Amino acid sequence: MSPSSALADSPVVARPSAGRHTLALFKSELQLVFGRARTWVLLAVLAAVPVMIGVAIKLSGAEGGAEGFLGQVAGNGLFLIVASLGLSLPFFLPTAVTVISGESLAGESSLGTLRNLLTAPAGRSRLLAAKMVALAIFCLAATFTIWVAGLIVGFVLFPVGDVLLLSGSTISLGEGLLRALAIAVVIALSLMGLAGIGLFVSSLTSTPLAAMAATFGTFIVLGILSAIPQIDVIHPWLLMYGWTSFADLLRDPPYWDAIGRNLLLQAGYLAVFYCAAWARITSRDIV
Amino acid sequence: MGAAQRSRRWLVPVSAVALVAGVGTLGPVVADASPKLPDISAQELLAKVQTAKVDGLSGTVHSSADLGLPALPGVTGGSDSASGTVTEMLSGEHTARVAFAAPDKARVSVLDNMAERVWTTDGKSAWAYDSGKREAVKLQLPEHKSSGKPEKKAPQSYNPQDVAKQFLDAIDPTTKVDVSGTEKVAGRDAYKLRLTPKTDKTTVGSVTLAVDSKTWIPLQVSVLPRTGTDPAVEIGFTDVSFAVPSASTFAFTPPKGVEVTQPKAPTTRPDVPKGLPSKPEAKPENGKKPGTANEPTVLGEGWSSVVMVRGVKLTGNGGPVDQFLAGAQTVEGSWGKGKIVTSKMVNALITDDGRVFAGLVTPQTLQDAAAKAPR
Repeated sequence: MSPSSALADSPVVARPSAGRHTLALFKSELQLVFGRARTWVLLAVLAAVPVMIGVAIKLSGAEGGAEGFLGQVAGNGLFLIVASLGLSLPFFLPTAVTVISGESLAGESSLGTLRNLLTAPAGRSRLLAAKMVALAIFCLAATFTIWVAGLIVGFVLFPVGDVLLLSGSTISLGEGLLRALAIAVVIALSLMGLAGIGLFVSSLTSTPLAAMAATFGTFIVLGILSAIPQIDVIHPWLLMYGWTSFADLLRDPPYWDAIGRNLLLQAGYLAVFYCAAWARITSRDIV
Repeated sequence: MGAAQRSRRWLVPVSAVALVAGVGTLGPVVADASPKLPDISAQELLAKVQTAKVDGLSGTVHSSADLGLPALPGVTGGSDSASGTVTEMLSGEHTARVAFAAPDKARVSVLDNMAERVWTTDGKSAWAYDSGKREAVKLQLPEHKSSGKPEKKAPQSYNPQDVAKQFLDAIDPTTKVDVSGTEKVAGRDAYKLRLTPKTDKTTVGSVTLAVDSKTWIPLQVSVLPRTGTDPAVEIGFTDVSFAVPSASTFAFTPPKGVEVTQPKAPTTRPDVPKGLPSKPEAKPENGKKPGTANEPTVLGEGWSSVVMVRGVKLTGNGGPVDQFLAGAQTVEGSWGKGKIVTSKMVNALITDDGRVFAGLVTPQTLQDAAAKAPR
């Protein structure tokens, strides 16, 4: 395998050989995602969320006016992390995931690089796996960006201290930060279903923009469906049904049932759409 | 690779859909499979329930109610008033953590979406806390006049078998009681005790209690409407432990930055909720209720009882209730004229002279009650 690893190390021909070398494939996939300017723009937008919320609350100086996490920010900067994550979940984070996942396969095929990758049939499944792992890492990077930005802004602008849980008990700041970190992980995992949908849609087309639009359209439709009370029978099956369960981590003790159900649902979506993307990519003709 | 072989790959995502849907829908059904338990008669089961005694328990209670109540336009069942809390509990799904320790410690926390409402009492004081508003209410409980339980217990001749028999005899004319099988509730084997009304005046099809086969504590109650197979109300444990919770579970220290109010203690002890989220919180708020309506009167008895409230001024102000009633069916009889509001279980008759009849009864029963009712 020495020639292939030598090839993988050389930047010019890294892509074609990557199919044979799993680690190099994952690495090059990550480089592809995080080497793009748009990825960093997306992360910068996400990092701006806590900044905007923090500055707005600081300027208005409202003390406990708002209900929920937002109302607690002024009293404890740590809640800026939770509030920012919570507020990014319905829109900003899905948008970012849509952009990156829509790009993943369709982007390659629009550039013509997918053709090279597909010529090695044994590498197709691995290519898809590498794309998915890169997407998952992006989801984590997105929520961690908010976590870090929220931490910095919250600590600079507001007093911090022991954390008041939903159940009315108090935990130390360190444990509070850990729970906020767990929330970031749970939210990143909550996005996996959408990432799976995006990956599948991206495998269908060679136009990244079409893939993004279709994925986001699907997301909007699911959102509308979950807002119609008459069809509440199907609500537990919709992608975002359990998204708000991340707040259960702030109970005393944390309530895992809803989080577990949400993650199972995400796993279900991911399994279905990942298999579909796999069927599509492995049965695809090389044009 | 032939086209047929390639298209066969699509069987993988299709079977993934089938698998996910299958696990999602059948998983809970399989988990609920009927356990094998020795036969027991309804009377024996009732006697066992009488003797049931736990020193403490903790667990998670899930309630789901689908009474088919029509949504009142413009009226949101806010949790601000006692009646709002009741309406809210009677619709949708709720999850609550409950803990109880004999004789008088209890805690109920309703897990709302990104919020939590807690009611807890350690026997000396009671707290209500709302995380959304970050407000705590403290009640100093009156000194122990012995709590409800020991009073009920007790004379030496107390014999659960007799009590069970008396109870069965008493409800026999109206209700059929039988043990309708077994089921798993919260991972525990339970007998199902079913009460079926004999009258057809009620909308209640049957009421089923799932009684734990070891501790004889009721774990689940479900109410089936006369029509349909889905429970209208189901409330029960999703997990339960009979270990006595530690005293700290029931303690509440008002956190910093939380507003604490201390209304005057009520003259009666708030009920200690036993496992179910009954509403001790309603007590301090009762005063807010508008006292214009007359006291409700119960007409009839048993399953076909109807509640009558007089002097209710609901209509005539062009408000949301008016709009809502405009769509309701108008009925007429010797008792006058009114609108009838029907739902899956609860029906109500609102007469033009300001009386409201409501109950878990058929619309015809409501009209019969209205005809007999005093003006």
